This record gives sequence, C-alpha cells and structure tokens, in this order.
Amino acid sequence: MFWRVVIAEVRKNIKQFFFSTRTVFWTLMLPLGNGLYLYFLYLPFATRSVNLEMNGSWFNLDLVGFTLIGQLLYTFYTMMLLSGASFEREREQGTLEAVLLSPASRPAVILGGALASAFNYVWFLLGIMVSWVAFVGVKIVVTDFLALFASIALSYLSLVTVGMCFESLFVYSRRGGMYATMLQEPIMFFSGLVFPLQAMPVALLSISYLIPLTFGLMSLRLTLLGGASLLDVAVPLIALIGMAWLFLAVAILLINQAERKAKVNATLTQF
Amino acid sequence: MREAMRLAEKRVKAEVRLGNVNFAVETRQLRRDYVSTKRTHLMGKKNTTIIRALDCIDFEIREGELFGLLGPNGAGKTTTVKILCTLLEPTAGHAFVKGYDVVKDAAQVRKMVNMVAGGERMLYYRLTGRENLGYFAELYNVPKKEVTSRVNALLELVGLSDRADDEVEKYSKGMKQRLQVCRGLINDPQVLFLDEPTLGLDVNIAKDLRKFIREKIVGEQGKTVLLTTHYMYEAEELCDRVGFLHKGKLVAVGSPEELKRKAHKGFSVEVLVTRLTDEALEGLRKLRAVKNVLATAYEGEADGEKVDRLIVNVDSDATAPEVLSYLSNVGCRVSSVNIRGPTLEDLFMLYTGE
Repeated sequence: MFWRVVIAEVRKNIKQFFFSTRTVFWTLMLPLGNGLYLYFLYLPFATRSVNLEMNGSWFNLDLVGFTLIGQLLYTFYTMMLLSGASFEREREQGTLEAVLLSPASRPAVILGGALASAFNYVWFLLGIMVSWVAFVGVKIVVTDFLALFASIALSYLSLVTVGMCFESLFVYSRRGGMYATMLQEPIMFFSGLVFPLQAMPVALLSISYLIPLTFGLMSLRLTLLGGASLLDVAVPLIALIGMAWLFLAVAILLINQAERKAKVNATLTQF
Repeated sequence: MREAMRLAEKRVKAEVRLGNVNFAVETRQLRRDYVSTKRTHLMGKKNTTIIRALDCIDFEIREGELFGLLGPNGAGKTTTVKILCTLLEPTAGHAFVKGYDVVKDAAQVRKMVNMVAGGERMLYYRLTGRENLGYFAELYNVPKKEVTSRVNALLELVGLSDRADDEVEKYSKGMKQRLQVCRGLINDPQVLFLDEPTLGLDVNIAKDLRKFIREKIVGEQGKTVLLTTHYMYEAEELCDRVGFLHKGKLVAVGSPEELKRKAHKGFSVEVLVTRLTDEALEGLRKLRAVKNVLATAYEGEADGEKVDRLIVNVDSDATAPEVLSYLSNVGCRVSSVNIRGPTLEDLFMLYTGE
C-alpha cells in the first residue's frame, strides 16, 4: 500500500509537470543557457583556487567549479522547496482535501511528491552540467566513482527528505511559502555555497552543520573536483545518512501534526 | 449545558460498549466552533471571534437511506459533512460512521466513506478523467486487477467513456461534476457524502444527476447517502428523510411526509397579490379559516405595482374562497392563485421562523 501510493503520487506529479511536449523540450533546453550564464558569472575568478581540508588532507579546487557545484546543489534544494509549494496549489484546487479524505499513508504522499520533484528537475541539473562540461570545459577530476556516486545519491536522498519537510510545512501552514523563502538566504550563507567553510566564523559553524546542503556540497566538491576517495569523504557521507533519517523523522512527525492542526483549525481549504 | 454534554458522552460510550451503535451515521451533541482572530492594526490587540457553526446536533442515518440535510448557506451543512468524512474535527460531541468514531477511528472511517462536493474542485485538471480515477484508485488501495474494470465501469455509468482520455480542463462543468461522482464511488464506499452536488449545474444536468443518485447509487447499489442542499425541491424529490439545519441547530428531522403531518394538516393557498397593506395582512391572520400566513415575499412588479407572494395555510381547500374574498374586500388585487399541500420550503420557513 505504501509504495503503491508513492508510485501513484510520483506518476501524478510527473504527468502534471510534463503536461505537453513543449514542456519536455524547454525542460531540456533551458538549463543549457542557465548553465552558461552561471559559468560566465563566476569566470572572473577563474585564476583563483580554493583549498579544502578533509580528514587531514588538503584538496586544491578550481574556484569556478567550486561555486558552480554550489549553485547546482542549491538549485536542487530550491526545487525541493518548490515540491512543497505544489501542496499550496493542491490546497487551492481542493485536491488536498480529496487526498486527505483517502486512507492513503501521508508519509507516502509527501515522499511521492518529493521524489517526483527530484525527477522532474534532475533533467534541469543534468542540462546545466552538460553545458559546463561540453561548452566551457569545467575541469572535472574524479578518481573514485563509487565516492562520487555515494555523494550524489546521499545528497539527493537527504534533500528529498528536506523536500518532504517543506511539503509538511506547506500543509501545516498557509504561510509555508513565506517561511521557506525566509530560509533561502541563510541556507545560502551557512551551507558555504560561494565560499569555503574555513572562512566562516567558528561560532557560526555549528549552524552550518545542521544543514544537509553543507555536507552534500563538501562531498560533491571533493569527489567531483578534487579526486577525493570514499575514505576522504566518509565524514560528510555519514552525516548525510544521519540527516536523511533525521529529516525523514521530522517530516513524518510534521505531516501528522499538520493534518491534525488543519482539521482543528479548518485550514485545509483556506488559502 | 456542560452537564447535558457529559451525559450525552456517557450515553454514547455506553452504547458503543454495548454495540448498540448500528446506524450508518450517527451524531451526538456534535458541536463545531470556528475561531477567527484579527488585529485592529499591525501592533494592535487581537480580537477573537468564535462562530458556532454547529450547535450540539443529534441525528441518525439508517443503512441504505438517502438523508438530506437542508439549510441556507452558512447553516452548517458542509461543516457536518467534513466532520463526518474526517476532514474536520468537532469542537465537542461525537460522530460515528458505521459505529466508528470519526476522530478516534478516522483511518477506519476513511476506508468506508467518500465525498463529492459541488463546484469544479477536487480534480486534477492536467490529468485525463481516466488518470484522475486511476490515481484515486491507488490511494484507496483498490485491488490492482480491479482498477481498470472499475474505472471503465464508472466512466460508463456516468456517460464519460468517450471523453475519458481528454484532460479534465477540457471538460464542461457538468462533465467535471460527473467525474467527481466517479471519484466519490471509486472506493465503492458504504457511505457517500454529497455536498451540494448540483451546485451551479444547469437544469437538465442537475435532473440527470438526481436521477442517477436515486436510481443507481441508492436504488441499485444500496449505498447510504447524506445529501446536503439548499434546494428544497431537490431534497423533496430525492430524500427518504430530511433534517432542517438552521444557524447550526437541527430544528427538525423526519421524512417529508412526516414533517408535513406534524407541522400542518391543511392546505396552502399561494397567492400573488398587489396593493397588499400591513393592515390587510394583519386582518388575514385573524380570519378563522387561516391557520397561519407563512410568508410574504416580493415577487416583482405588475402594471407598475408591487407584487407580493402570500402562502396562507388553511384547514381545507374549501376555505380558500374565503381568503380570496377577504383580500378582494380589503382592496387587494389577486393575480394568481394556487392551492396545494405544503412543500418542504414552507415547512423550512415554518420551523425556522424565516
């Protein structure tokens, strides 16, 4: 029953997203331009590099690649936020009521929503990466493909659970969009999106370590640009696993609370 | 009041314990308040207003019965339906569907019920009719082997087979409503809630839908249906029993015939009249043959004069001429007369005093 609902939810969202052939075309074409724009935005820093320390080893990374990966993963995070916003649309069109009227598992519904968003936008991210590698030649240094795969998979997984939390937030409150937007700038700052965490004041670092994006960026940058091995990125990967579980638990707790609160306050249909 | 609530809860618990809760739907002292908080200005004090949408209502619906909940907008009909299908929690009191408490056993209740609301919501417009039904079939865990046949059968039932693979955004209002009915039947619910299902539909489509509800859903499939409407003729045509909901209170429950018997044994003389004065109306009320004057409603103008509608309840149709001659004697001009038994609308006005 659980996975039936997840699959149904994924299929529904994908069908709604790719509702015409034109949507499919632009989903594949737009990121090429977007990727080039981001590359040229950071090109002035092309002569500089960043040194990152991990497990006592130092890695020298190209600054443009460093910031581009930051942008890439941040875009993915934003897309997860948008998966939450889709619940706002469901509330407006009354389908949220129709879904909650059914006995379907609520965690399955939000997991399906988050997975569908991840699928819908993965083409966007791939397009951006293709444009970097094919057109402007961003230097990729991969020595351990298992480490790269683990970094991508765990970053993806942890951000999907963050997406589930956002979805619960949007069911919980009609102000979900406002809260999610308020979080955007601090997330950009604390995750080390455009600067290495070493530059962050030590007192603020503890906040950075509460954000899965931080660990996703660490492992992806090191495995994709610095040739780091699985052992080198073991710490951020373990942190990503822990965070995925944590956010999953929060999402399940939050969706149950959200439904209860909406039923008490009659906010399922108000928008 | 608190003592009455406590006793009602105690009685319900005892009945549940004894297994006496055998109605398809049952409410006991059901109450729902909406709390609205507003600030006078940005930094101002919060003003909290409590609106009582349902005020301790009690009613039962029998198995296989079509029960109508009638009342004007804001009477509490939708609130009742939402509580019964677990989309809203009551502030106090209890509600049971098939003996299951809608709050404590919500998961169980959801498997047995479904709801269709009026209007064009609760559907995914970018999906086709078939995809919509397929999606909801998965949510209700309809056996995989049955999904296709059930979806096809439902589409056939409401006459949407030929448009099943079109996106819902291309459907007319009536088609969307028919698809909503399919969605409501996708889990083969034992209890179906229809919340103003004919709202905004044109006359012929509404008539077809009413026929479908009466003949197919209740007649052939034997489902228990709670229908809410503010169209009195709709309830009169469809319902086995009705309840009048007025400002959150259930003011009368019974079959239309039973309510008519209880409220009034005579006939109604419906008169369209001009030059009606307050004095004439007062005099009319004092006539021996007149039991009561149910309403005076402005009906427009004729030859530049205001036309009023009077519904005068009399003991027998033989006394109608007395009413007419009185109106004529006091200078009123009668343009139309209709003698009939009371309608649900008359009864509603009688019970609610409006």
